[in-house]
Amino acid sequence: MAILIKQVELSWLDRTYVWPILKGMAITLGHFFRQLFTPTSKRFTIQYPEMKKEMPEGYRGLHELKRFEDGSVKCVACFMCAEACPARCITIEAEEFSELNLTQGFEEKRPKRFEIDLLRCIFCGMCEEACPKDAIWLRKDYELVGTDREALRYGKWDLLNTYAEPDGKPVIKTDPTPSTPSRKEVACS
Amino acid sequence: MPTLAHLLHLSPETLWMVAKVLIVFGGPFTLASLLTWVERRGAAMIQDRIGPNRAALFGKWRLLGLPQIAADGIKAFLKEDLVPPHVNKLVFWVAPLLTFLPAVMGFAIIPFGQSFVSGGQTYHLSLLDPGNGMGMLYPLAIGSMAVYGVLTAAWSSNNKWSILGGMRASAQMVSYEIAMSLAVITIFMRAGAYDPHQIIQAQWGLWNVLPQFLGFLVFTTCMFAETNRLPFDFAEGEAEIVAGYLTEYGSMKFALMYLSEYVHMVTASALIVTLYFGGWRVPFVADPGVWLSVLAFLVKLLFFCWLFIWIRWTLPRFRYDQLMKLGWKVMLPLSMANFLFHAFLMFKRG
Ligand code: SF4
Ligand code: SF4
Repeated sequence: MAILIKQVELSWLDRTYVWPILKGMAITLGHFFRQLFTPTSKRFTIQYPEMKKEMPEGYRGLHELKRFEDGSVKCVACFMCAEACPARCITIEAEEFSELNLTQGFEEKRPKRFEIDLLRCIFCGMCEEACPKDAIWLRKDYELVGTDREALRYGKWDLLNTYAEPDGKPVIKTDPTPSTPSRKEVACS
Repeated sequence: MPTLAHLLHLSPETLWMVAKVLIVFGGPFTLASLLTWVERRGAAMIQDRIGPNRAALFGKWRLLGLPQIAADGIKAFLKEDLVPPHVNKLVFWVAPLLTFLPAVMGFAIIPFGQSFVSGGQTYHLSLLDPGNGMGMLYPLAIGSMAVYGVLTAAWSSNNKWSILGGMRASAQMVSYEIAMSLAVITIFMRAGAYDPHQIIQAQWGLWNVLPQFLGFLVFTTCMFAETNRLPFDFAEGEAEIVAGYLTEYGSMKFALMYLSEYVHMVTASALIVTLYFGGWRVPFVADPGVWLSVLAFLVKLLFFCWLFIWIRWTLPRFRYDQLMKLGWKVMLPLSMANFLFHAFLMFKRG
């Protein structure tokens, strides 16, 4: 169907150009003064290094591997996320650990190596969806930089501590429980 | 003045001349570079942005972004001075000068303050003293020279965008010059003289803008066209012809062309102020004295410079045929009507 364009009938005042131009100038001057007297914090522009944008709920930023209260890894190395990942950027190596404690329940498997190549990651959040233990979250950090490609391959301890600072949690670099020697390795050798 | 001259072992005339040259060439130049800052920050504010505010002196003092001017200058100097292989080298080099010089020279005739008497001698606050026989014809002639800069830049660039820009600039200049001249002639007629000092003298009590409002409108519009500013900036027209006559220019040559647009703006504002807003006159003060008159001139000048910027960020660019239509079918008849009306008034009064 044809779209009817509304014809605007200009009054003689509008056709002089001068009056509409003055009106336009009033608008721009209004904006000028409004912006001039708006404090920096209230302006639309977010002055980046000093001010940061608060990301909306559900924003998919840098991953975090979740921990229990005692600092042990929630992840059970089930490989669901690695399977779900469309970019195939998660590498997991599992290990067993002996001492069962309360928070860990009956699980006895955990990742020995958990690596995400963030250069390949497309931040789709599939890993988060797939995880049965809610162990991997995509959170709000969007300032992801590195000096080379290797720096952006985040390992297990990097991922566990990505949000330690903003959350005010201690940075943990060791598992609370030692792992048992791999039986598989023994069998194979 | 004579004591200072005595201290420097100069005659007062020489010292005064040197001072004036410094003021007249340094003033618009400084003002123009400041205007680049005003333009960028002002435009930002008008568009609810913030504008350049990061450049800082010694990495510390941001001063509202003013160091940006210096930063841009340094950048322009340090950039590679690229001359494309297909240009006419000589003309390509001369063009920035041809654009820049007329812009600065136009200011020489403008009286930027009241003349004063010191040590039995009259000092005029304009580079060219009154009674030099050129009067207001001089800035108009020089102003029209500016199009040569644009044209040579366009021709020498040997580039289709450039040449389109150059053609547009020249066509625009021709269509607006006539209307402008007619508006100015009306002023000459009313003042009975074409020397800026006398024109300002004639505006005693009543600035020309009131009786000749039509002339003022036409003249201001033509000044926008002359300075190649929006809404008449399609010699550059970045939406359709890249950067027009500036397409092949880079580094300091570009900076010079860019700056000359602002110097041109200052000169154009000075012309408007002199012709229509009583030059250095202060309302309700018969004899303002040197400092007050210079201040008044500066305030008016800055207002019109701001007007140029303000209009630029308010109006969209005209289309080429619209510009031609406006020039020939609106501006020229209006200017003519203004001229005839005042001629008739003068005839009636005898
Ligand atoms: S966000 Fe998507 S691409 Fe990135 S690791 Fe998770 S599943 Fe893979
Ligand atoms: S992060 Fe979740 S889905 Fe991935 S291996 Fe660990 S428990 Fe399984």
